[in-house]
Amino acid sequence: MTVIRQEATSGSTGDWHLERKRAWSNWMTGMMFLLPSLILFGVFLFYPMVRTVYLSLFLTDSQGVPVVFVGWENFVNLFQSTSFQLSAKATALFVLYTVPAGIVLATALAILANQKLRGIGLFRTMFSATMGMSVAASSVIWMFLFNPSIGLFNRILAALNIPGVQWLLDPQYALLSVSVATIWMNTGFAFLILLGGLQNIDQSLYESARIAGVSESYKLRKITLPMLSPTLFFVTTVSLINAFQTFGQIDLLTRGGPMESTNVIVYSIYKDAFINYNVGSASAQAVLLFVAVLIVTVLQFKIGERKVHYQ
Amino acid sequence: MKKLWIGSTAMVLLLAACSGETEESVETTDATASTTEDGKTEVVFWHAMSGELETALNTLVDDFNASQDEYEVEPVFQGTYEEALTKLNTVAGTDESPAMMQVFEVGTKFMIDSGHIQPVQDFIDEEGFDTSIWEENITNYYSVDGVQYSMPFNSSTPVLIYNKDAFEAAGLDPEKAPMTYSELKEAAEALTTDAQKGFSILNYGWFFEEMVAAQGGLFVNEENGRAGQATEAVFNGEEGLNVFNLIKDMYDEGTYYNSGQNWDDMRAAFQSGATAMILDSSAGVKGMIDNAPFEVGVGYLPVPDDAERNGVIIGGASLWMADDIPAEQKQGAWEFMKYASSAEVQAQWHVDTGYFAINPAAYEEQIVVDQWEQYPQLKVTVDQLKETQANAATGGALISVFPEARQRVVNAMESLYQGTDPQEALDQAVEETNRALEVDAAKSGN
Repeated sequence: MTVIRQEATSGSTGDWHLERKRAWSNWMTGMMFLLPSLILFGVFLFYPMVRTVYLSLFLTDSQGVPVVFVGWENFVNLFQSTSFQLSAKATALFVLYTVPAGIVLATALAILANQKLRGIGLFRTMFSATMGMSVAASSVIWMFLFNPSIGLFNRILAALNIPGVQWLLDPQYALLSVSVATIWMNTGFAFLILLGGLQNIDQSLYESARIAGVSESYKLRKITLPMLSPTLFFVTTVSLINAFQTFGQIDLLTRGGPMESTNVIVYSIYKDAFINYNVGSASAQAVLLFVAVLIVTVLQFKIGERKVHYQ
Repeated sequence: MKKLWIGSTAMVLLLAACSGETEESVETTDATASTTEDGKTEVVFWHAMSGELETALNTLVDDFNASQDEYEVEPVFQGTYEEALTKLNTVAGTDESPAMMQVFEVGTKFMIDSGHIQPVQDFIDEEGFDTSIWEENITNYYSVDGVQYSMPFNSSTPVLIYNKDAFEAAGLDPEKAPMTYSELKEAAEALTTDAQKGFSILNYGWFFEEMVAAQGGLFVNEENGRAGQATEAVFNGEEGLNVFNLIKDMYDEGTYYNSGQNWDDMRAAFQSGATAMILDSSAGVKGMIDNAPFEVGVGYLPVPDDAERNGVIIGGASLWMADDIPAEQKQGAWEFMKYASSAEVQAQWHVDTGYFAINPAAYEEQIVVDQWEQYPQLKVTVDQLKETQANAATGGALISVFPEARQRVVNAMESLYQGTDPQEALDQAVEETNRALEVDAAKSGN
């Protein structure tokens, strides 16, 4: 583009048409490169998004065909419904429980696994292993662990003479239990990315530090974490968005219950659209979720990125 | 530059070719959908039977296909009842729609309202088919205003299942199942030990509906939606409150076990001895007897001491015929339905699965007699259905927002364990169900 502009300014006005033609053909070439992704995004992303906003203004029949235009009514009803407020609360809590804890855990494991020791490969494989497990398989494992009558956790409690806990049936514990399972599931991915980030840190910095004779914690605070911050920022952003969109483990472990304590917005959207056939109300929730994720991500870039140290 | 143009043109062409191909393949499958290679009319059948049930169903279908040479029924598993219905929703009224579909009982009103179904009544009238051979309580559920919409297929009802060994250990008579709430409470109290609770109900709307109907209570107004469009839920009346009080009292006394929303968890709790009595589907009785490490007893659904026993609502599913399909396919679906309801087939089906025979003549078949000798508990489930009075309560509610209503009831049940007042919990569920009914009415423009 800069090339074209330079030519355009340097050329005389008589060449204007020619320049314009060239710019046009350049633009066409550019668009052609973009075409495959534009088509894919258009069909699978932009069109559904626009359609969702459109549907959120209607009541739909059971096949999702808009039948009655209601304007903002779907949104008004959502804001008045206690069920939606609970969903919003559950989503916020879920993000709070899973993202910070997950990242701290993954960072700690990555720092541990970054040591040059014999057999460290085994630990790196172990720590990243959950990445290779599907949500469904992991959920089934946790379902058995949490099972109140035959699960491992309550057997341990029983062995210690502590009364059993209904992990997934008690509204006080259900969201926490699902969060623990989620942290376990997501750690592998965050661990792997963070380990990659650690290995990219220039070793000469550590050499200088060793010569200066600073303590380990000083190295961690002044070299490792700042140099890791771009990776941490990336992992945080991806984890946040992931946490907002969690579905599989909720569906398998609690189905949104008990008392809607784990009915996060994505699950509530699913229930409304595919069990209750209220596509309009589900679309309205999807729009609100989109706005929420957008706000959080923008805030993160505005505030969080200031602390990121790019080399 | 030129290459690029060629490349992108090729890609556009490819895309066009792809879309062209899909259209073509749709057409070809459509052409072959009606007949197989040997000239049989193909009838696609979507169902929700998994595991052992699917095996039994496939055997039934294979036998039908072998029994005649005009039609070929092709069973396709489409997930749970809810999932299958969601999938049907995306294709109903198009060429992709299956000719025959298994839909759970609470989807009845939904299917009628969908406008894509052919009532089987038309075939019954045309042939002068005698429907009186069917179990009345079952056909009642699936007929509305005297029109039989779908063909009952796999039917079940709730029963009380109890651990006979635990009864004996607690000094109770293992041959006498509790019939009333106070008998249930007393038994549960005697059965409760450190490791074992007395009684448990799955947090699932169906059991609540059944316990309300057992006392003659209605779920929604307009005679349970059978006299007209239901506009209000009424399950927060005396009957609903009796059920919720029972749960609340027993939970507070520490004799009730909260087994969550998952059927497998509830059955695991029973089999592992965490609870000595549960409510379960009659279709699960045989599996429970086979798998439990103790003697299993089966009893009727308990009712309050002073209530008259009305009986049970039929659960399970029925077979629906699609409307916009070729006449031969409809005929094929009808032939299959008739075959499936015959006494011999129903007898085999009852023995294989534990579902009721919709044709009571099946109970006289030798295989059923033999089976009952081996599993006398199965007879209890059939007797409970036979003794049911036919009225609006046991006819079952007819609303299209049933899945949502059930979620509300489950929520209310769960809130009981957190100390919510039973009447308050019920009122809340009713209010939310009313809201769903209202939205539904707005959609259909009533």
